[in-house]
Amino acid sequence: MQGLLTDAFLTSLVFGAISAGIPLLLAGLGEQLSEKAGVLNIGIEGMMLAGAYVGFVAAFYSSSLWLGFAGGAAGGAAVALVMALLCVRHGLNQIVVGIALTLGVEGLTALLHHFQFGRTYPRLDAATSLPIPVLSELPILGPALFDRHPIVYGAIAMVAVMAFVYRRTNLGLDLQAAGDQPAALDVAGVDVVTTRTAAVIATGVMAGVGGAFMANIGAGLFIPFMTGGAGFIGIVLAMLARGRPLWVLAGALIFGACLSMTTALQVAGVNIPTDVIQMLPFAAVMAVLVIFGRRASLPAALGLPYVRGAR
Amino acid sequence: MTGLKLSVSAIALALSFGAVNAADVKSIAVLTPEQGTDFGWNQQGVDAAKAAGEKTGVEVVVAEGLGYGDVRPTLRELAADGVGLMIAHASGYNTAAPEIAEETKVPVAIVDTPTGLKPGLVADYTLSGHEGAYLAGRLAAKVTRTGTVGVVVSGEPPSWNSQSAGFAEGVKAENPNVKIRYAVIGPAAYADAAGGKRVTESVIAAGADVIFGQGNGSSFGMLQAVETTPATDGGKVWFIDVIGDKSSLDKGNLLTSVVWDMTPVYVAMIEDLKADTFGTKSYAIGLADGSVKLLETKNLPADKWAEVMALKDEMIAGKITVTPEFDAAKVRAMMTDVAAP
Repeated sequence: MQGLLTDAFLTSLVFGAISAGIPLLLAGLGEQLSEKAGVLNIGIEGMMLAGAYVGFVAAFYSSSLWLGFAGGAAGGAAVALVMALLCVRHGLNQIVVGIALTLGVEGLTALLHHFQFGRTYPRLDAATSLPIPVLSELPILGPALFDRHPIVYGAIAMVAVMAFVYRRTNLGLDLQAAGDQPAALDVAGVDVVTTRTAAVIATGVMAGVGGAFMANIGAGLFIPFMTGGAGFIGIVLAMLARGRPLWVLAGALIFGACLSMTTALQVAGVNIPTDVIQMLPFAAVMAVLVIFGRRASLPAALGLPYVRGAR
Repeated sequence: MTGLKLSVSAIALALSFGAVNAADVKSIAVLTPEQGTDFGWNQQGVDAAKAAGEKTGVEVVVAEGLGYGDVRPTLRELAADGVGLMIAHASGYNTAAPEIAEETKVPVAIVDTPTGLKPGLVADYTLSGHEGAYLAGRLAAKVTRTGTVGVVVSGEPPSWNSQSAGFAEGVKAENPNVKIRYAVIGPAAYADAAGGKRVTESVIAAGADVIFGQGNGSSFGMLQAVETTPATDGGKVWFIDVIGDKSSLDKGNLLTSVVWDMTPVYVAMIEDLKADTFGTKSYAIGLADGSVKLLETKNLPADKWAEVMALKDEMIAGKITVTPEFDAAKVRAMMTDVAAP
């Protein structure tokens, strides 16, 4: 084990933890936004997958990761728009529509990939990084945390942005009211449907960028079904974090760290059932967030469509 | 007496009906979780089913890209369409497929469930390329510069466990001092390309300069990792693939692949159906009939390849034998403590 703990190995573990955590962070922040506004966005897995596919296509053909992320955002937003139309505008069941969207996107992206890349499986070049002076020189943590693609810094900065929006702005109040007391928001002259629609589409943008990160930086390619439930983990993080962006970040990083820990234990030859080791991320996130996030609560009107005048 | 006659007639009718059914296998279906163009498990399954259909004069229906969820509706639909055999080509289907076989009475073939045989109804083809993996292990130990090789898998199904074990035995037989780093991406992370890349990068950082990767879609993430991550000595990392041939996608890191050909297995299944012996025995692939082989690539040093081919001849002659090990716990133990066969 001692011979294994080299700087290179430890750096790769931290690097891997961040890479695994970023898509979950973006999905979790997006889901949290949607839930704040009262929409249980089960379709976030489909939004991530659409973002992964469109993001990869855009990055591959343009040779630009930034255009890839823009494409990912557009892909996620397109799926979110359908969700908003069906669930927010027409009041259909959010769980049923969310599952249907996810299944539909899985099939569509698999089909498109089959015709487009099924014989070639193109792969992107390694992402270029933006080292932060001084910090990137730190041993182990430097290369893993401070020598990354700017989207990583942007994703983490989103935590502060979302916290600021929720706590300090009228928009944050509107979102909170759309989720807790939509009728009161309506009476105050703010359109509940528009507020919720905007929240769902913003969720799609974030989930789409998360999916694009997974495809373009996490893997360097697109594979059908590659999100593998990351969107659902994002939902769990958002549910457990209960309105606090910082807790989504904590959950995503704990999850990523535990994934890296499982790799470390296996590579070190610890012979315990892999399933037990791989329960670690889920168990750790639930334990931490349940213990420290108990006092927060979910929006009162979560999952309920809003119809003016309905009782 | 009349009752006895009726019973005998009924049994005779049932037997003759069964025999007609058995002889009349006009079409079979193969169901795969991913598209049959993955240069691996799914493609080999689809290609082999088509080849088997051609050899036996049976029509083949391909249902691909079905995902890893509930496959029962597709199985029911295929059964209603009248196929004579449904090959459920994913370990994730081995609960649903026997259920639908019972329900529709259409035979199914499943994987990774050797104890699930039911005569006439359920056959299992838990295949093992352990002989090829052993040779791959010998080759890996010959070419490693760092003295460390890695095994990355996206799950621990029996077929892959036996190949991981075979690889480890081969490595240790060639050079007992070579270290083996073993990592599983996830319990069923077959399509987790990002996980494949992440875990492979860590295994490379742990010193491995040869990666033996088993992973369906996730193997493309492994391939991406070896292409973009230098070994700890600064040199190239080699990749050893399984089941399919990714030569056309290679950017210079593909050392070889343990290639499977499942055609003989599917042909045997169709013949067993026709002979009413379906579901009564297990199927195997191996070096001797060419259904398992090592892929020759342009990246292979000629001298090492010749040495490995000589070992292959010894295996076929029975001078070297490798016993498949399907149990995950035993395979993990082998990674730190394995003896040469």
